[in-house]
Amino acid sequence: MITLGQDQKNPLLEVVNKRSGQNVLNCYQCGKCVGTCPVAGYMDFPPREIMQLIKIGRKEAILAANSSWYCLTCSACAGRCPREIDIPKVMETLRHMAIEEHVKPGSKRVKDIRHFHEIFNNMVRLYGRNYELRLMAEFNIRTRNLFQNMQLAPKALLKGKIKLFPGPGVKSAKAIKKMYDIAEKLEKSK
Amino acid sequence: MKKLTYFPGCSAHGTSEEFDHTLRKVMKTLEVELEEIPDWNCCGATSAHAMTDNLAMALPMRNLILAEKMDNKTMGIPCASCYSRMKTAKYELEAHPELAQKLSSIVEEGTFKGTVEVKSMLQFCYEEVGLEKIKSLVKYPLTGLKVACYYGCLLTRPKAVTQFDSPEYPMSMDRLVEALGATAVDFDYKTECCGASFAISTPEVVLNLSGKILEMAKEAGAHAMVVACPLCQSNLDMRQPDIEKLQGVKYNIPVFYFTQLMALAFGYPVSDLLPGKHIVPIEPALARIGETEEPAEKVTKPKKAVEAESEDN
Repeated sequence: MITLGQDQKNPLLEVVNKRSGQNVLNCYQCGKCVGTCPVAGYMDFPPREIMQLIKIGRKEAILAANSSWYCLTCSACAGRCPREIDIPKVMETLRHMAIEEHVKPGSKRVKDIRHFHEIFNNMVRLYGRNYELRLMAEFNIRTRNLFQNMQLAPKALLKGKIKLFPGPGVKSAKAIKKMYDIAEKLEKSK
Repeated sequence: MKKLTYFPGCSAHGTSEEFDHTLRKVMKTLEVELEEIPDWNCCGATSAHAMTDNLAMALPMRNLILAEKMDNKTMGIPCASCYSRMKTAKYELEAHPELAQKLSSIVEEGTFKGTVEVKSMLQFCYEEVGLEKIKSLVKYPLTGLKVACYYGCLLTRPKAVTQFDSPEYPMSMDRLVEALGATAVDFDYKTECCGASFAISTPEVVLNLSGKILEMAKEAGAHAMVVACPLCQSNLDMRQPDIEKLQGVKYNIPVFYFTQLMALAFGYPVSDLLPGKHIVPIEPALARIGETEEPAEKVTKPKKAVEAESEDN
């Protein structure tokens, strides 16, 4: 198995280990995570390969890949990993690194996933809680595809699955907005 | 009367109104008083932890602090995703006091003490109410109804965080529905992921993953599925027509929240289940209740075996 030699520095491995609280070097490439992962087939590099790429310090390839964005955090792999590595935590670290380093989404789907998370966070920032209809509407506008998921809209609205108006908001929606502002400053000062 | 701190979560007012509605009824019967956390906020769900370290912890931390100010031992959460975020935050904050210290600059509601237990409503029913009590309150046993209990990812995983049931083959919900008189079928896809928050951004993943789950439930002979998570419910129910179109099969498998079945068994009328909220009609499954064993179980050999035998002759 190829890993970087003792004398070679691998800053990627150090950062990932520190931020995720895991030790990626423990991975012995058994591939159980790949067999378990429900979305491995959609990934540029399935989890096992991501672990190996971290070990050999291939930062650009990893951050440009769709893998971390496709991870559903279902934790099935973590439960079965014989080396007890919490792989979703590693994936989470990779997503945060991609955002911080302004890595452009490599595909339309990754762009969509990131849009969705941004809009969701915006809803919470604005209302303190999620507002499903506006979330869906903004997603369609931002992704320039007005009619996606529209087959669901009439049914969902008629059945009251999705409400026309935001639910009872948090009284201190202002406090939540402030939390977002402070957190943003903290992230920037990293 | 027992008191429980209650965190309904955002979907309780929208996609999972029937979960919240039946839960409140059921808790009344079980003599549990729900005290909703005043001014709770969104837990941040998948999106906060996908994008940021700090908010992923700070949003649930605010709710935990508000819950600690109330006088109850446990906080109950119906939604599996809210539960997972809150429980993960509690786990991390307890393991890393310096993290709580750091986040106190973001959360102004007070300091985190870690004095409230966080449980999913399924866990609360199973551990704190108990199956004996639930069984004793059943007025209308759900005999004849075969269900596949689907737990999804987050109720039992990661094991170190949830400390509840098995991460691979949990049985708590199965035992609960059996206490109500229903039959829980053996179901291999109990803890497979339904695609969760990809419903809007990446629907093809949800159709694929949820499709497999429905396929397995059908194969296991279930009349209905039972869940404890709003996202699982909407993926399996609302997307079922799309899945059927994609696979070219008909499932007609309604997807209940476990609290809907509890309400029914406790004698609440069907209208209290809010049947209008379901995309796949629930009536055909309800009609199975009271049915005795299906007409003398025929011993049917698999088609291939029959063919092979006829070739031998």
